[in-house]
Amino acid sequence: MEMVKRAFLLVTVVSGAWGADFSLAIGNPVAVARPNGVVKKDIGFAVRGENCADVAAIQVAGTAEGVVDGARRSIPLRLIAGETAGTFAISHDWPQQGTWVVSLTGHCGNATASAVVPIGRSGFIRESSKFFPRAATAAEVESALKTLTGGGK
Amino acid sequence: MNQPQDKPPIGPMEPGDLPLVKAPDSIWISIETTLDAKPEPRGIGTFRWQWAAASLAVIGAVSWYAMRPSPPSWAVSTLEGSPSVDKIKVGEWLQTDASSRARITVGSIGTVDIEPNTRVRLVAASPTEHRLTLARGEISATVTAPPRLFLVDTPASTAVDLGCAYKMKTDESGDGVLRVTSGWVSLEWEGRESLVPAGADCRTRSRTGPGTPYFADAPEALQEALAAFDFRGGGPDALATVLNQARVRDTLTLWHLLSRVDPADRVGVFNRMVDLVPLPSGVSREKALQLDSATLKSWREELAWKW
Amino acid sequence: MSDPETIEIIEACRRGDREAFRALYEAHKDKVYSIALYFFHGDPAAASDATQQVFLKLITNIKGFRGDSEFLTWLHRLVVNTCLDGSRKNKSRERSEDPADLARLADPASQDDNMARRQIASRVQAALSSLPPKLRMPILLRYFEELSYAEMAEALQCSAGTVASRLNQGHKLLAQKLERLRR
Repeated sequence: MEMVKRAFLLVTVVSGAWGADFSLAIGNPVAVARPNGVVKKDIGFAVRGENCADVAAIQVAGTAEGVVDGARRSIPLRLIAGETAGTFAISHDWPQQGTWVVSLTGHCGNATASAVVPIGRSGFIRESSKFFPRAATAAEVESALKTLTGGGK
Repeated sequence: MNQPQDKPPIGPMEPGDLPLVKAPDSIWISIETTLDAKPEPRGIGTFRWQWAAASLAVIGAVSWYAMRPSPPSWAVSTLEGSPSVDKIKVGEWLQTDASSRARITVGSIGTVDIEPNTRVRLVAASPTEHRLTLARGEISATVTAPPRLFLVDTPASTAVDLGCAYKMKTDESGDGVLRVTSGWVSLEWEGRESLVPAGADCRTRSRTGPGTPYFADAPEALQEALAAFDFRGGGPDALATVLNQARVRDTLTLWHLLSRVDPADRVGVFNRMVDLVPLPSGVSREKALQLDSATLKSWREELAWKW
Repeated sequence: MSDPETIEIIEACRRGDREAFRALYEAHKDKVYSIALYFFHGDPAAASDATQQVFLKLITNIKGFRGDSEFLTWLHRLVVNTCLDGSRKNKSRERSEDPADLARLADPASQDDNMARRQIASRVQAALSSLPPKLRMPILLRYFEELSYAEMAEALQCSAGTVASRLNQGHKLLAQKLERLRR
């Protein structure tokens, strides 16, 4: 019984705060204050991990997935750590031409979360962004891209 | 019967009841800036470049600038129109006509695009201050520098770069608008400060300075009520409309209003903010209502994740 | 007519002499600023704005100054018009006797460390703020400038009789206010 209890506690600690799963949140670029090494005008938006017991250990990676002149493209993104642990600035490494979504995957220990963020003329589109308690599938990313391309913005 | 040459009594006041107050030094600086913006009459030792149609003009500085050793300068390139200048020195004006645009390279930290019918002056180009005056018209600035190195003065504001790209438009009285496309800008004037993040606008008005920032996609009713509140004494009705129309990201606007409304209205603004975005842990209600600066800063940093 | 030194400075200003204008500004700025400051309820931004406008109007129109009246009278007229215009255009500057406003006025920019003097100044400012603009201005003009009825009439662009009437009315109201504030 004692071993079962300890295993339960271990799993709970790894996955984050009591009752809440690890997740990603996105925000205005200014939410990451003054990130290092990135030309500030090139920040697309900010991302942070939430409900993680060890924020310093949060890792996030991402790609920009897009369609330019009918051709499908994928660009790895630079993420620069913000002043607060667990926060990152997403470098605007995708071109102005074409239609783009940003696919982000974050890890907190063994927990994974992801976000698929459509990009519009004025920047990231919060209302259309989707968040998952796991890695987003390729189909989910394509679906978001198709919606953006088909519906426009 | 009072005689015209008689001096009237000074009434119930006594000499010394109202002390004479020294005029601030900033008034003379403002007067000089305005005078320098006007075309100088002949005979004061100024000079002008005669500019061809659709070209740029640099209007020479007056008296003491002409006497100094050669001041620092920034490069100027032509974006539209016929080129006639390639640099602007400290103290000089640059003016575009209806069909010309120019780009000033701001030292090594960025660029400022000068739109048509715009008049700017280079005020400082030192390692600790890069400063322009925008007398009228529109500019687009893109700057990568430590915060507060690059500043732009208009008749009713000073835009302080905090790491950003923005457009700024003003007329000669100071009525204008700032739109930030990246980073932050602090818009300041005579003790009033508005922090404007990417995606947000901030109006300025002659004699009032900067208004309250709002996101460019905020409901029109909110924007109009905010203008009424900021510049036309809109009062409780305007404030009520702003609160009713506010969305989650309009907590940018509400955050600024906390310190701009009457104390009696502050609780209403606070309550609306926490209705939209729960108060973060570590932010005290009491301290927020007391406008504690550290508390407001923490709250703003957390709210930015919703903007 | 203005005194010879003033006439010489004015002539230099007409020629575009910036140093002469600066001298004129330095000679009169504190009184202009003080009148505007107390007129606008101790608001330094409004006072700075009004002061700037007065001197810009002065230098812009100095070529039209014919010298057939006292320079100071002309300057006072600029101050009166600028302050009254500012008051009309921005009604929000015309505040009622709000305790918060009175508290804000309680610490005028003064070199005098005497607490009692500051309290008197604060009471007088509060009382002044309660008067309508057209009564407040003649009181301030008289207080800061030693003008005759005729000179005040020129500055306020009304008759000497109207000056006397406004001052009389203003002083009475002021006395009543000061009495109430002492309680």
